[in-house]
Amino acid sequence: MVGFKRDYQGNAKKHHGPKPAAAPKSTVRNAYTPMFERLRDELDAHHDRRDRIGKASRDVTALSKKIIFSLQRVRQIDASLPQDIQAEVDSRLAEIAKLLASIAPEVQDINRYRYSRSLFCLEELVEALTFSHYLKTQTLVDQAHLAQVVEDLARQGAAPEDEVMADAGATPVPGPGEQAGQLAAEAPVIGITQEDYLYGVFDLTGEMMRFATTTSALTGRMASGDGQDEPRTIVEDMHDLGSLFEMLPHAGGGKNVTWENKLEVMRQSVQKVEKLGYDRTIRGSERPKGWIPDLTTDDQPNSP
Amino acid sequence: MATPMIDPALFEQLKSKIETDTKTGKELDQILDDLNQHIAFTQGLFSRIHSTPRSKYPSLLGQVEEGIRKEIESVGKLSQFASQYPYYKYNYKWTRMNQDAISTVLLCTWLGGMGSEARPGELGRLLTLEEVGEVFQVPVNLKDQDAFHVTIEEYLLALINIVDELSRLAMNSVTLGDTAMAVQISSFIKDLHAGFQVLNLKNDILRKRVDSIKYAVKKVEDVVYDLSLRNLIPAKASE
Repeated sequence: MVGFKRDYQGNAKKHHGPKPAAAPKSTVRNAYTPMFERLRDELDAHHDRRDRIGKASRDVTALSKKIIFSLQRVRQIDASLPQDIQAEVDSRLAEIAKLLASIAPEVQDINRYRYSRSLFCLEELVEALTFSHYLKTQTLVDQAHLAQVVEDLARQGAAPEDEVMADAGATPVPGPGEQAGQLAAEAPVIGITQEDYLYGVFDLTGEMMRFATTTSALTGRMASGDGQDEPRTIVEDMHDLGSLFEMLPHAGGGKNVTWENKLEVMRQSVQKVEKLGYDRTIRGSERPKGWIPDLTTDDQPNSP
Repeated sequence: MATPMIDPALFEQLKSKIETDTKTGKELDQILDDLNQHIAFTQGLFSRIHSTPRSKYPSLLGQVEEGIRKEIESVGKLSQFASQYPYYKYNYKWTRMNQDAISTVLLCTWLGGMGSEARPGELGRLLTLEEVGEVFQVPVNLKDQDAFHVTIEEYLLALINIVDELSRLAMNSVTLGDTAMAVQISSFIKDLHAGFQVLNLKNDILRKRVDSIKYAVKKVEDVVYDLSLRNLIPAKASE
């Protein structure tokens, strides 16, 4: 049921809300009418496709954000995520897989870049996947591996229900191109462009900053790798990531506003984390070792 | 952990990819620079149409055709270069120029230019999208193949360009005493206006531009009204 808007006198306004399905216009036919009708059909197909992609894209974006929220409940860098969180991530990825598979046929070849702007979800997905990869391995996954993961997602989504759900979240994947043929070789996949990857990784710095802040507040130490005398902390990782972007030439030849903005946000994130590192170094020793605020014990089931 | 956060190879890969992209962009810009010059020159020539009586069209259109030949040459280079890359990755760089180039061709043929042995030029001839492709020797409306082509949107936007130009010409042709021209333009623009109304437009650039056609229609109708008030409409054209 669609509502309607009222004007200031309270009368229903006309021409608002979805228009009734294109009432056949009684146009005068002339020499050019057939040509325009043909072009109309082509344009309609394009608009419909763009709408379908846009809808799926919005859903994938929302799901990716949910994955990120789940991942922000992780408290340490560890080869395996806490079970409940991994389960949440997996179920979201399964949904994403279906959505990707549903639009994959529409974004092949020439249409990949044609609908790039409608596929903004990929950036968000890259952010979620790189973040998950970081939490497990404390490394940045490269574009080829990530593209492989996304391609596999689309294949899974296309596969019949029962045989789905291999471990999509686990990013350790064989080299790009292998293994691909086994699932459903002919199922179309969605590729990750350089922009998707770079902008997704830009946003990863924000998530790492959030992660560093929560973990250091709740556990009293900087997130770092395990099992070594001097494990690398997230502060170093942020610096690495920061330098990566500072050293890269600006994509799009220096006039790229998105790049500039993301670069600035990234710089702020890096500085927030280095401030954390400083605080931890200077004041961290004042806290008893292993001291954890009480309030966190309830909502923080420690991972095995 | 022994592995670093960022594999050094990862940086090198990204760097070289961005550099390649930038280089491609620059090469493209050079080709587009040439194209742009030819288009600007041709459009400049065309501005003379407003002060040219119809009897002198052939010589003016002859010069215009010269400009168009250069456009075609540039578009050919562009097509060759751009087809190496995903079409929609860079097409924002040239889509505007394509429209302008197409509109010079559409206008020239409508005014009776670009005739051939097989088909002499005739006033009021509108090239279809496919015919525009033939003129530029490039494909049109490609869907299954990722290569350079003329898009439907470019064709339609070019069409709107010539509507604007013709509505101006309607007025100026009356000044030059050519009332029949004004009447013919009027009927053409009205037909196109009706044609554009067949389209289901979304809220995009095409919609915005199509909205401008009604002003051209109004402008030309006013001219025809002025003519009819004064009984200046040639008997044959007024039917």
